[in-house]
Amino acid sequence: MDNNIEQLKQNYMEIPIPEELDFVVKKAIRKNRVKRTNMRWVIGTAAAVIVFVSGVNSSPAFANAFSNIPVLSKIVEVVTFREFKVDEDTYNAHLKVPAVTNLENKSLEEMLNNKYLDENKKLYAEFQLEMDEMKKQGGGHLGIDTGYEVKTDNDQILSIGRYEVNTVGSSSTTMKYDTIDKKNQVLISLPSLFKDNAYIALISENIKQQMLDQMKSDPDKTYWVKKDDKDTDPMNDYQSIQKDQSFYINKDGKLVISFDKYEVAPGYMGIVEFVIPTDVIASDLVSSEYIKS
Amino acid sequence: MLSNKKFENSLVQCITEHKDNIYRLAYSYVRNKEDALDIVQDSIHKAFASAGSLKNPDAIKSWFYRIVVNTSLDFLRKHKRVQVVDEETLEAYSQGISDSYHNIDLERALDELPVKYRNVVVLRYFEDLKIEEVSEVLNENINTVKTRLYQALRVLRVKLNDESAMEV
Repeated sequence: MDNNIEQLKQNYMEIPIPEELDFVVKKAIRKNRVKRTNMRWVIGTAAAVIVFVSGVNSSPAFANAFSNIPVLSKIVEVVTFREFKVDEDTYNAHLKVPAVTNLENKSLEEMLNNKYLDENKKLYAEFQLEMDEMKKQGGGHLGIDTGYEVKTDNDQILSIGRYEVNTVGSSSTTMKYDTIDKKNQVLISLPSLFKDNAYIALISENIKQQMLDQMKSDPDKTYWVKKDDKDTDPMNDYQSIQKDQSFYINKDGKLVISFDKYEVAPGYMGIVEFVIPTDVIASDLVSSEYIKS
Repeated sequence: MLSNKKFENSLVQCITEHKDNIYRLAYSYVRNKEDALDIVQDSIHKAFASAGSLKNPDAIKSWFYRIVVNTSLDFLRKHKRVQVVDEETLEAYSQGISDSYHNIDLERALDELPVKYRNVVVLRYFEDLKIEEVSEVLNENINTVKTRLYQALRVLRVKLNDESAMEV
């Protein structure tokens, strides 16, 4: 059988490389490099147009979002503010924009909601551009999907996660979180939870250990982390979390660190999350108000 | 994430380094020069356009291969595949290879494999990717890739044996 495979491989390697290949490749590269720089103003214009177009596309959720809120109990909640949709054969976009309502701190509310809307408008504009470009080139598959999930909603904490799934040839998923202190009406950032930068090393080291443990107990799992000092695989390069790594606070008051698809593991692992045991970071926590042991 | 400039530089480097490979890969799906060149061109456009989907800069090769594979599959889906062998291939077969008939049998056996099996054989054995890279390119988990590889080899062996049995 090995013989046969060798034979097949030989056939494969004998596929003649045409002279034009060099030219085609160079032309395609050059075209894209130039195109990029000229694109900027187009994106700006497209985004401006979207505001008008989307009125037609936006779903009834737009209206519902506001009619559903009980007038008497002013509860901070997350609603779907607006949706952008494209449904054409191989081109699919489904963008769901969340909005936080009833925060007393109106400037925080506005800041968050504008951020969510701007993000999605930008994605929608980019999608339209790529779709047109692809149609010109004879078609293809293109998909984008955004939405949100409320990770935690209790008396104190509201954690909202927004996901973005991109399918262009390959698919990728990114997740962003906002965590709000409902009592004090402020946005919580990762550094703000800690006294100093010591948390970065504490958390990074803990995650490393969790990765190794998980891989040991489940051979299907892979993280790009060095197995030991002798591991020289350049893929295994996880060292540390970012200063402002994606995070949220879960229902149990535990800190959860999140990595996007491909950030620390191969694509099949998807988005990965690590719950950080509170005793690991206790020494560096400002208070135990948000993170409970 | 890489900055735009850094991304472009490593993409250009990746494309230039592997241009022959991606051409062959595309060719193995469409079996003619013009379409294979089109796919190479499309894949390069798509790669530049989807910079955001590359999360790990070290995996740029797998990521780019995946775009080539998907572009090829898209192409096949659009143009219901007909088994055509162009002149160049015929010539390549008829020149100097003593047991060229045997080659065509083998090639055909491979061609008749469902795409999902052929993908793993081509990437693993012809492009010499590691199992893990194959799994990244196809966005399948490692065990699935291994299973498919094993099944593909078994099917190939069965087919070849069938054919030689018929000849006897």
